[in-house]
Amino acid sequence: MRRGLWTTSVGACALLAMACGGANGRDGDAGADGTTSADGGDGGDGDDADDGGEDPVGVFDPGVATLPRLTYTQYRNALQDLLGEGLPPTLVEADTNPYLFFNIGNASTTLSELGTQQYEEAADEITHFVFDDPVRRLEVVGCAPASPTDACAQGFVATFGRRAFRRPLTPTELARWQQVVVDLSDPDVWEGLRLTVAGMLQSPNFLYRVELGEPDPEDPTRRRFTAYEMASRLSFLLWNTTPDDTLLDAAEAGELLDAGSLVAHAERLLADPRARQAVQDFFAQYFDLGRLAWVSRDPVEYPEFSPTLVAAMRTEVQLLVDDFVFRRDTDVREIFGTTRTFVNDELAALYEVDAPGASPIAFVPVDLPADGPRAGLLTLGAFLTMNAHESETSPTLRGKYLRERVLCQTVPPPPPNVDTDIVPGENTGKTLRERLEQHMTDPACASCHTFIDPPGFLFESYDSLGRFRTEDGNGYPIDASGDFDGAPLAGAKDLAPLLVEHERVGLCVTTQLLRHAQGRLETEAELDILDDLDAKFAADGYRFRQLLLHLVTHEGFRYAAAPEGE
Amino acid sequence: MVWRPISRRTLLRGAAAGTTVGLGLPVLEAMYGPRDALADAGDAGPIFGVFFWANGTPWHAGHGSEQAAAGQPDLWTPAATGPGYAPSQLLLPLDGHQVSIATGLEPHTEIPDSPAGQGDGHMRGFMVALTADRPRSEGYDHPSHTLTALRPSLDQYVADHEDFYGGAIPRFRSLVLGVSEARFHDYGHWNAISYNGPDSTNLPVSDPGQLYELLFDVPDDAVAVSRRVNLLDAVLADANELSARLGAADKIRIEAHLDHIAEIQRRLDLSVAVCENAPTPPGTSDDLIARTQIMAELLAVGLSCGLTRVFSFMLTSPATTHVFSNLGVPDGMHKTCHDGHWDRVRAITDYQMQAFRVFLDQMAAVVDPMGNSLMQRLCIFATSEYGEGWKHGNKEHPVLFAGQACGAINPGVHERVPDGNLSMAHVTALRALGITTPSYGFNGGETTEHLAQILA
Repeated sequence: MRRGLWTTSVGACALLAMACGGANGRDGDAGADGTTSADGGDGGDGDDADDGGEDPVGVFDPGVATLPRLTYTQYRNALQDLLGEGLPPTLVEADTNPYLFFNIGNASTTLSELGTQQYEEAADEITHFVFDDPVRRLEVVGCAPASPTDACAQGFVATFGRRAFRRPLTPTELARWQQVVVDLSDPDVWEGLRLTVAGMLQSPNFLYRVELGEPDPEDPTRRRFTAYEMASRLSFLLWNTTPDDTLLDAAEAGELLDAGSLVAHAERLLADPRARQAVQDFFAQYFDLGRLAWVSRDPVEYPEFSPTLVAAMRTEVQLLVDDFVFRRDTDVREIFGTTRTFVNDELAALYEVDAPGASPIAFVPVDLPADGPRAGLLTLGAFLTMNAHESETSPTLRGKYLRERVLCQTVPPPPPNVDTDIVPGENTGKTLRERLEQHMTDPACASCHTFIDPPGFLFESYDSLGRFRTEDGNGYPIDASGDFDGAPLAGAKDLAPLLVEHERVGLCVTTQLLRHAQGRLETEAELDILDDLDAKFAADGYRFRQLLLHLVTHEGFRYAAAPEGE
Repeated sequence: MVWRPISRRTLLRGAAAGTTVGLGLPVLEAMYGPRDALADAGDAGPIFGVFFWANGTPWHAGHGSEQAAAGQPDLWTPAATGPGYAPSQLLLPLDGHQVSIATGLEPHTEIPDSPAGQGDGHMRGFMVALTADRPRSEGYDHPSHTLTALRPSLDQYVADHEDFYGGAIPRFRSLVLGVSEARFHDYGHWNAISYNGPDSTNLPVSDPGQLYELLFDVPDDAVAVSRRVNLLDAVLADANELSARLGAADKIRIEAHLDHIAEIQRRLDLSVAVCENAPTPPGTSDDLIARTQIMAELLAVGLSCGLTRVFSFMLTSPATTHVFSNLGVPDGMHKTCHDGHWDRVRAITDYQMQAFRVFLDQMAAVVDPMGNSLMQRLCIFATSEYGEGWKHGNKEHPVLFAGQACGAINPGVHERVPDGNLSMAHVTALRALGITTPSYGFNGGETTEHLAQILA
């Protein structure tokens, strides 16, 4: 029998948790030159991720399939695709993000009873909204049914069902849902169709991504995702929504089972604005931007603070991601060293930069001054603010984010019974740095804090809102010197070029993307897949669009291990 | 394991084998009890509630040697034990509600060595307080704060136990409510204190408007409701077919979803029965105590109408980052504890007890025609996540009982059990509710004992 996510995660964690300082034991395995790749990539610079050629299969060991429930965004996007824009908002159970990603949470957790009720009520409300409107319902159904048994009504069940379930209905399902129309067309057939749609929107075939695979014709011991399942996998990864008719038609025609076909369809999807949103959704989870929504600051200490400023910090990251991935399609690692960013008037004031044309709603590109204090994503508002406390900074949180999120390194937990106390800052005659340095001299704490804190101190020049400062809240001068894996640095700006070239950054992006795409942590066997993808990513200059193309054509994305017990 | 009445799913499994499933399957009274079960449930029987607040109590010598070195007094433990104890300073806000208190309790569950970090005060503390078990080791990941429960929390255990509802299941088996939306972590287990089992949380409703709609804004068109009920049969048939194709872990998830759909069918069928005392739609507030009052008032009406007999109420979430700026505290509560600001933690604990007082006031204000207030039926188990938050110490885990559970809980008693097993609180609650409980607690937390002075 197939086991859950956490079985694999234990294995992965055990493997990855090598040591505080030692990354995950794979340093150097996947060099930026891609020399460890199975095929090395082609080193070209065009949209040539795959050359349309067929990758060999049977090289890798894919992990098991997952059954993720649609995330909130996927659910709303799918409703809109099925029923049109402007649908009323409804309550849906909140997503949860173990290991950063909603897809992991929604593949490992169970929907609650209240969440089930909310789906029922949403289906009733939304279908009333659609079918109470004669124009809208005609658009959705595509014909005017006269009776529950006519070709219009019965045909709609098949066509809508295919779009909602992302595959043709089985004969059993078709008969079942056609019977719903017959039984519930009271007072008229429109009501029967409304209820049919409401029912399908509650079916697990809609609410979950049922991608279980079929026995691989080449190797019956494992699974190959079907053409329809690949349509879904492409669409949810690249559009964050249900596949369109073109993808479903391609599946029906037997496409989407070879790399050439997948690249062609992926290119089409990536050219659509929906891809930009989907990529944003991935990066927002990867960078954990959701935490910004919970930031609060004392208005006396931080007069610049406002909800709009925090929103602007998030927008800034989104604009940077879009710039690197879509507008310029360039090395995404350089986001960690960028000297060009996008600010509105509030951010311009926070950064103390001139930004002609900036307003509360207008973001303009600015070049951060070469002699200024900032370079790279980790010197900008979002990172600095979400990794700080209300009244003081947190080198520990900042260092931990760098280790875990940017470098995908594992910070081990404190030993049992460790003193996690930090002596309060008021009237102690010590800076936060001096107080934290106790952690690095205490043997119980040192193993981890010497891993986390030295790079975290590099960000001390920025306060809890990301403002540049030369002294702390108690009037002590700031010392932002630190150390990154043995390299002494004067501050975060010096860290930026090291991150851009760091061999783990690209691998970390690859790792996070695979987790997001698969809805689970990687298995030990999938580390080869990560290395292969990372090598191809490197060979293509770390362009994220190319990574997406490599992923969707990869054996690890198109095949799954047979469920345990088979 | 969870007990359910005869489920529609059981019946449907037979029907689903055919090419079509008959729609319009009648809702059998035999499955759910007589139609007037709603009214009956409102008339009698104890009501169980869990009230949870974050970050324990201010530290003192009873929490350990390090805490003793800080030299702060114990403002929580009443000086005297037994009935009629004089409340301690931090229990003064509850004066008049005859709250009983157990002191000296702590988790007795084992702490496996691997994966590391399972002794974390928060995660061990709130899991044991809520489930009488340790966190699940499989998948436990301290650095990312990822954890899950091994079993249902006590509210769900009660709501699903056949000894509790018998055949008279009200519209909601349980209600899961909260107040503060501040969160230590986006991951669900940090934002919920009600669990059905591993990786299955019940997130609280913390918006008064949403709670009002859930309880009182029910559909009044019986025909329309019956169509929605019948429609779910087709959804159940789809789900049954899918379930048959799944591996074990996903099958559990889909089967739970199936159970929920059947429960929603049952609830819809009862939804046209209105609560005659329905209040007017409420306002809301960002003030913790004001919102507690609004939520508690709605809950109290719902309880008096017999909409449920089980609830949980999360005032603040585990390790809350709630900023008590109204008390002059500049940082979130979790950091405030870590930083050792004893005076601030004392002020926050006092404030959280005031909120509990407001909650109990709302319960006491609901009086039936016989002159009995809800407090006489209530058995409220009020607790937190550990003893104290500075060192995250698990000793002296706070436990309060409010309400008399129809005479099964002795009011106004202080029972002290030095180094006592925290699961004794669970055994006490379960026995007070008439649930057969030879023992409770798991993985080292087992006990056959209840709190002898608190259980009548």
